[in-house]
Amino acid sequence: MNIASANSFKALIKREYWEHKGAMFYTPAIIAAVFAGISILIVITGGQLSVNGGHSFSFMDFMPKVLEQFENVGDEERSRGVQIGLYGARILFCVVMLVVSLFYMLGSLYDERKDKSILFWKSLPVSDTATVLSKFVSVCFLIPILYFAVISVFQVFLLLFGTVIAWFGGNSGITLWASSNLFSVLFNSLLSLIVASLWLAPIWSWLMFASAWAKKVAFLWGTLPIFMIVIAEGWIFHTSHFIEMIGDRIAKGFIILNSNMHYLVSGDMFDMDVQRWYQVFGNIEFWGGLIVSAVLLAGAIYTRRYRDES
Amino acid sequence: MTILIQAKGLSKSYGSHQVLKSVDFSVKRGRIVGLVGPNGAGKTTILKSILGLTSYDGDLKVLGLDPARQRHQIMQKVSFIADVAVLPRWLKVENALEFVTDVHPNFNLDKARYFLSKTNIPMQARVKELSKGMVAQLHLALVMSIDAELLVLDEPTLGLDILYRKEFYNQLLAEFFDEGRSILVTTHQIEEIENLLTDLIFIRDGRIILDATMEEVAVKYIEVMVSKDDAAKAEALGPVMQRDVFGRKVYLFEGISREELEPLGELHSPSVADLFVAKMKEGK
Repeated sequence: MNIASANSFKALIKREYWEHKGAMFYTPAIIAAVFAGISILIVITGGQLSVNGGHSFSFMDFMPKVLEQFENVGDEERSRGVQIGLYGARILFCVVMLVVSLFYMLGSLYDERKDKSILFWKSLPVSDTATVLSKFVSVCFLIPILYFAVISVFQVFLLLFGTVIAWFGGNSGITLWASSNLFSVLFNSLLSLIVASLWLAPIWSWLMFASAWAKKVAFLWGTLPIFMIVIAEGWIFHTSHFIEMIGDRIAKGFIILNSNMHYLVSGDMFDMDVQRWYQVFGNIEFWGGLIVSAVLLAGAIYTRRYRDES
Repeated sequence: MTILIQAKGLSKSYGSHQVLKSVDFSVKRGRIVGLVGPNGAGKTTILKSILGLTSYDGDLKVLGLDPARQRHQIMQKVSFIADVAVLPRWLKVENALEFVTDVHPNFNLDKARYFLSKTNIPMQARVKELSKGMVAQLHLALVMSIDAELLVLDEPTLGLDILYRKEFYNQLLAEFFDEGRSILVTTHQIEEIENLLTDLIFIRDGRIILDATMEEVAVKYIEVMVSKDDAAKAEALGPVMQRDVFGRKVYLFEGISREELEPLGELHSPSVADLFVAKMKEGK
């Protein structure tokens, strides 16, 4: 790839960000801000919180006891607790990311046709291959990286928040940071977000293909063929392998996102095979998924290239 | 290379309906070609074929390239504005400039900034916040800043009010067009562009029924205003069209010399609109 086309690909990724800033960045940022705000509010009002008018509950009186317990458990146990807190804080963001990615892909090659802006994009010297791939790269890398950035800020906030509370309890808060294993958490967080998105690549590519095909209501084009296959399979073979395969793929994607959490809570979070993000690369299903994804992407490129809107 | 577009036997069918029936034409460098025809005649199909937006049969070369396979190379030297406001509504003006700068090797950012500085378009605005006229100005500013050899316009002024429409073409002529470039334009408002055109192509039912330079048209087609008394003499020469104007008759002749027509009355060049009506009625 020469410099001009590298530049042009970068511009395409930027374009995706401009168009979807809301879903890709503001949505997780607002969720993080709301949770941060709620946490702060609880502490501030905590001193005066009264339950049922009479029994007043004082957060500040309660804190030293918690902190004392925190200092007294074993190092390993404490570190486990802090990390569960940090990974636990990701779960909601992961769910939101998957939903956002799904709708992003469904609209990826449909919205531009709906608002006719495809005629503007096609008036520029950008190939259909580059356009389609830029959207695929956005869902597999850009979205996970942006969600990672927001999640990380939120996790650091939680640690800072914990530190301030520790100060009120007469503690330095250093134990908290030392127990957090922060860099390992961040590293695993980023890689699991990206690898989970790559694991789900066949789903994304299917939605993109449907989005390139759809004449109206991309959502139906994305889901109806799947239901038809499922019904046909049930009718002819009396089996349900296809839907199980899709369900399995999505569930495992979610598990990859949260495998660290799973092992921290002594391996009883998911009742399925759990793969850590680096184990995924040794899984034949992962590579098979990428091949299916490549075929569907080629279909999406072909459809965008030759689709005639008149 | 003086021929920018060369079409031979260009055909297109949607199912059993043939919208283009083996059309031949060419567009040379330095020309402004008006492609005129009623709705459904095949104008848009021709433009889409040239721009690589649809498949077709037959032979078509744009700047020596094959639009069906080499669209993104062709678009380095060809610009187009389609018949509807197609700039994405979410796009910010400054981002539009940044994007085109990044993807287009022949885009001149300073030029675009200069064109925009003459409008009231704020750089921070999104397309959806601009009026229709402003969106057209923005699109024109982007397109005129591309060093293109061919500009394709498909009903570019549709839905604009008269001030913007006039300005649109004036600016194109003043700031963009020169002998190194060509413009291919379709529009329903023929009277707005007839003075700009150097060439005229009429299309009806997927066939080209007129393909000539404006000079050729002026020689071949003559309108004569005839008093009622001379009407029979005029009709004997076989006019292609006639209409009544203030108690006199106006006849349009094709291929009759000025010398033959002069004795009948006052001679004019027909307007493109009148010529269009005459050609569309021909043989029907």
